[in-house]
Amino acid sequence: MLIFSVFKTLTDQQVIVELKNDLSITGVLKSVDQFLNIRLDNIKVLDEARHPHMMAVKNCFIRGSVVRYVQLPAEHVDTQLLEDATRREAQNPNKR
Amino acid sequence: MDPSSSGIQEPFDLIRLSLSERVFVKLRGDREMTGILHAYDGHMNLIMSDVEETITIVDTESPEGSNVSVAKRKMDMLFVRGDGVILVSPPSRS
Amino acid sequence: MDDSPPPPPPENSTPPPPPQSHTGSPTDFLKGVVGKRVIVRLNSGVDYRGILSCLDGYMNIALEQTEEHVNGRVTNRYGDAFIRGNNVLYISAAEPL
Repeated sequence: MLIFSVFKTLTDQQVIVELKNDLSITGVLKSVDQFLNIRLDNIKVLDEARHPHMMAVKNCFIRGSVVRYVQLPAEHVDTQLLEDATRREAQNPNKR
Repeated sequence: MDPSSSGIQEPFDLIRLSLSERVFVKLRGDREMTGILHAYDGHMNLIMSDVEETITIVDTESPEGSNVSVAKRKMDMLFVRGDGVILVSPPSRS
Repeated sequence: MDDSPPPPPPENSTPPPPPQSHTGSPTDFLKGVVGKRVIVRLNSGVDYRGILSCLDGYMNIALEQTEEHVNGRVTNRYGDAFIRGNNVLYISAAEPL
């Protein structure tokens, strides 16, 4: 739930999503859900030569399970807040 | 209560004690990284900053047998999906 | 295989208790092995040898003084290591329980 909240605070920010098939897509984060499925707008594929079929695609929905990494805008991430929230969630006996 | 000298009762304690420290992470696909840990959850989803990733590429086609090369890159702030995580090692506590 | 002498009459002595290591559930094994030297093998074939600090129901594992073995060679050492449970093939005791 914590990481879901982090992504929610980053909506309308520019991110780079790297998929497990090595495709990297940059775009504006439009929405995210509890599975960390992601909707991106104004997308651009970083290595278009390798993925020419993606050139016409303007926006996309990415299933959370195919994501390897998401590069986040560091200036919009409060690391102290994150660490405190993580410790708080770790204390709670509720499910992770 | 405490079976070992380190005072941890469950594996996630090891990760909790590493918050805001530089950790080493081993991932699927011959990837390793170090970075400063800022958040994690029960899936081992991670958020880290100042990340350096190392990808080991084994080139079996090369003439002199299998040839290993490494690719490195840096990322400012990174979310790592937990299902790719194999191992997390905190900084050594002395 | 070969012919052994006939066993002594059973009424002479009380049978010895069965060896402890061959009884009990998997849970009993895991409880017994905490704090001991273990070998953790992952699905990838990589072995981790170290002292088992603790583990949870997902088989997430915390190890101390860990050596990573690939093809019989030590490839890394970690003071502490957290291993995500889904990667674990087995946990083997590396010292008598």
